[in-house]
Amino acid sequence: MTGSLSYAYIVGMADLLGTFEQAVLLSILRLGEDAYGRAILRQVQVSLARSVVAGAVYTTLDRLERRGFVDSRLAPGTAIRGGRARRYYMVAAEGNRMLADAQKTLAEMWQGVKLPVAVKS
Amino acid sequence: MSHQSPPRWAEFLLKRLLSARDRETVTGDLHEDYAEFLVPRFGRRRANLWYLHQISSIATRCIREGGTVTKLLFLTSAVTLLCGCWLAFMECLLRHPGFQTRAAVALLIAAAGLATLLVRLLHLGVRNERWLWAAAAALIGLGVFSFLRNARGAHFEGFVFVIAIVIVLQGLLMLVNLGRRSHPGRTVAGT
Repeated sequence: MTGSLSYAYIVGMADLLGTFEQAVLLSILRLGEDAYGRAILRQVQVSLARSVVAGAVYTTLDRLERRGFVDSRLAPGTAIRGGRARRYYMVAAEGNRMLADAQKTLAEMWQGVKLPVAVKS
Repeated sequence: MSHQSPPRWAEFLLKRLLSARDRETVTGDLHEDYAEFLVPRFGRRRANLWYLHQISSIATRCIREGGTVTKLLFLTSAVTLLCGCWLAFMECLLRHPGFQTRAAVALLIAAAGLATLLVRLLHLGVRNERWLWAAAAALIGLGVFSFLRNARGAHFEGFVFVIAIVIVLQGLLMLVNLGRRSHPGRTVAGT
């Protein structure tokens, strides 16, 4: 890898979304109109096939919203949640672009790689 | 459908951890999961444990998402809390002359550490910031006094030296934190 190429690669990687951020954004896309906090938490757990704590999801949602990757709106709550409002999330245009970039970068990284990789002794 | 609620004290704790923006929505989400899924499936006891686990995750994120100053403040506060408790315990154990006064001062130091942790984590008392400024100034004063007294004393004690520095650092970080704090209502944890 040449110097300029590696620089571009590093800068590009720095802008990439983390795995957890991608999982949250993809969960919002999967849930569509029903993407509110609790549903996103459950969907992320299903996607990653592991237990996920609420703090991780809410701080990620907050960070993504601050970076302009998701938008949110409030909706009235139901009786089961004590009438408390729900916050619904949707992926913003910038979030979609970042997801597409992440997908493209990963595809490029994996291009030409076949598993299992042969190890020279 | 049976309507079950998490323990009141736990919900209060969670509300204090959250910013005004997320207070209603996040507690609502967890309440919903608790009542609709966890209690019917696992029973109240395990549901309560799950709820506490979620609270601790939010508290942990509150510290992690905070800036360097906040992280350092949590660290120094935890150190002063532990050191204060240890000093008080040792004073009471060894019972040297005048140990009551020294134990009381040690407990005060521990209380300052605990109070800082509670104020920063649970946003307690932030409406009236004047006493926080006074507490920060008092901590710095106490730290400098202990440092100088220890340095001039006949027996130099390394433990007191370290605590004095940590106390001064905690006081300074409190001042920086108070100075830069604006509105805590944006992030989940409000840091």
